[in-house]
Amino acid sequence: MNLRFGYGTNGFANHRLSDALAVLADLGYDGVALTLDHHHLDPYAPGLARRVSGLATRLMELGLSVVVETGARYLLDPRRKHAPTLLHDEREVRLDFLLRAVSIASDLGAEAVSCWSGVRPPAVDAQLAWDRLVDGCARLTEAASKAGVPVGFEPEPGMFVQDLSGWRTLHRALGMPRAFGLTLDLGHCRCLEPEPVADCVVAAAPWLVNVQIEDMRRGVHEHLEFGEGEIDFPPVLRALADAGYRGLVGVELPRHSHAAPDVARRSLTFLRAAAGQSGTATDRSAAAPGMRAPGQRRPAGAVPAPEVLRAALAGVDDGGWLDEALRRVAADPSVISRLFPAAARRCGRAEVLPGWTADEAARAVLLAMLPAERAAVQARALYRHGDAAEKRAVLRALPLLPVGASAVELLHDAIRTNDTRLVAAALGPYAAHLDAAAWRQAVVKCVFMGIALSCVDDLDHRADSELAAMLAGVADERHAAGRELPADAAALLARLKAEKGI
Amino acid sequence: MRIFDPHVHMTSRTTDDYEAMAAAGVRAVVEPAFWLGQPRTSPGSFADYFDALIGWEPFRAGQFGIRHHATIALNPKEANDPRCREVLELVPRYLDKDAVVAVGEIGYDSMTPLEDIAFAAQLALAVEFDLPALVHTPHRDKVRGTQRSLDVVKESGIDPGRVVIDHLNEVTVELVRDTGCWLGFSIYPDTKMSPPRMVELLRRHGTERMLVNSAADWGRSDPLLTRRTGEAMLAAGFGADDVDRVLWRNPVEFYGQSGRLDLSDADSPADFAGNSIKRGGA
Repeated sequence: MNLRFGYGTNGFANHRLSDALAVLADLGYDGVALTLDHHHLDPYAPGLARRVSGLATRLMELGLSVVVETGARYLLDPRRKHAPTLLHDEREVRLDFLLRAVSIASDLGAEAVSCWSGVRPPAVDAQLAWDRLVDGCARLTEAASKAGVPVGFEPEPGMFVQDLSGWRTLHRALGMPRAFGLTLDLGHCRCLEPEPVADCVVAAAPWLVNVQIEDMRRGVHEHLEFGEGEIDFPPVLRALADAGYRGLVGVELPRHSHAAPDVARRSLTFLRAAAGQSGTATDRSAAAPGMRAPGQRRPAGAVPAPEVLRAALAGVDDGGWLDEALRRVAADPSVISRLFPAAARRCGRAEVLPGWTADEAARAVLLAMLPAERAAVQARALYRHGDAAEKRAVLRALPLLPVGASAVELLHDAIRTNDTRLVAAALGPYAAHLDAAAWRQAVVKCVFMGIALSCVDDLDHRADSELAAMLAGVADERHAAGRELPADAAALLARLKAEKGI
Repeated sequence: MRIFDPHVHMTSRTTDDYEAMAAAGVRAVVEPAFWLGQPRTSPGSFADYFDALIGWEPFRAGQFGIRHHATIALNPKEANDPRCREVLELVPRYLDKDAVVAVGEIGYDSMTPLEDIAFAAQLALAVEFDLPALVHTPHRDKVRGTQRSLDVVKESGIDPGRVVIDHLNEVTVELVRDTGCWLGFSIYPDTKMSPPRMVELLRRHGTERMLVNSAADWGRSDPLLTRRTGEAMLAAGFGADDVDRVLWRNPVEFYGQSGRLDLSDADSPADFAGNSIKRGGA
């Protein structure tokens, strides 16, 4: 297993930073999560450049990687914990601090800069808080992008953005920029996410830039030493490794500073043992080397989440076009009508995920940016005015959009055509909204057009005796003409006959 | 012989034509939007026609291993019909499409004030969308129509190297030769140009910026006359490289200025027979 473990310096609050680093390196940690604080590389004290450079050298000597954390309690305001946040009236103070953190992270060669939203102040209404958060994160992300250090935004229980769902909403509001990633605290997942921790890891994998780890109990936001909470760690570590996560997995125990060296030692022993326990699975992955593409483990037919598609497009050389396009659509959904047709010219047509070319993935992500109240109307218009590739992209993205069954008319239009690309795309997961008669007609049309039935989502489950009768009719006509059914249709017919007793 | 027909109305042709064209070496075509022989009466007919040019027709062509691109415009004949004026508002939407490699056919039919408006407006669109322009020259009063077209092109500010003046002949070729515009010649069974006459023009004016097309449509025409012209060139002593320049590299260079010409795999010498359906259905 290739996981790299780190430890948060906020769990060494009673140590000099240089001493904490030495202890952690001696114990065998791979890196540290450095919380900038008044006693740990104070970004407001004199001689910052010299201290940063000295620290960079020290980290290199010790062989420690680093991520920069910005969750210090009383760094900006000695009286109010965590204040001001990006949500406060004095939010510029927080933003200035975060921009300093980006600059420091860049100088340190850090892997990410982590931050959170903070708790919404009672005097700031939710809409204003949201607008401030989006604006602050956009400016931070722009700086981080220029500096080449990703932002890891961390959902934190009790804060304005407290879970993965909130992170996704924020991510989309920002236009899914590449430089805006996720810091995932695995204890938080146990505390409040609806899914098991390992599933949270799988879902979040494409955007993970930083991971924090500790034990926790359901519903109680208290960072616990390993073994004191409810998390079963081997499957979680397995999920991280399987997802190809290469960043630090940093122990986050800020309330254990009183016994930091012992806690750090016990923690690493525990994590190594847990990683070892998932070792049988490690052998499997060793047989298939190379980083697994995100989303590859999903069941066939399911459509990857927009975040997964966006992440898969990260390697496409589009000169930043998609980042800019998504940002513009987030700000003004109507501009999608001119950006949508250009996606193939800008992003190319290479396959970025199994079954997804760059142009279709980019178009799906653009569609996913649309606000719920505009999605159906815009999708219809883009389909109506699209060329065949645009139409196909709309059809394939429908399961990702908040349109319910309202776009089923697009499937009827596509199935009416004689274009194999459109008919095939109409029979994906969204075809669940087709009534049985229309669906059967479409499947039989595939047989006529020579379209492989593998494009038909849920075929095995949905095929019924009526479909069998229709296929048998086709087979009879073909036999009369001295021709055969395509092999996949013949196999389906044979299976249905056996199962349904026809 | 690899052939790129830079002007052919495949909507009007049968799959037999596609098959014969593929067999003759045609690997890529551009289909300009024009009229259909019978006047259209509403913008809706144009929308469906344009949709076919960027949807169904490329699919059909793909089944025979032929790359299909289009040019989009309100044509000069129907620019005179007040029922079709709104088509000008439809055109920009199509100029964003991947398979649209120029604005066209624009230009003159009867040289009316309404044609002036549509011509100038669509040249401006070509500049705005950074696309080349395909200019049709009129059948009647051709010399004056060609001269006036050149004046309008000049006024528009578009780079003449991004404009083709089409349907030229012995009488109009001199007007265009030194303007920097490309020269288009439509080879027809009886009218317009014939292969031997075309060869003579190539001998006299060289192969630079010369485009040869069949302009085949719903009238009496022949999509294989590009091939026949290539053969006539060879018979007259032109080399294979000259033929390749006129019938392939020139149209690639002209429409390539759109940045949207997709000829991946199409210009390789491989025969497409046997895998045409797969390519079309991809």
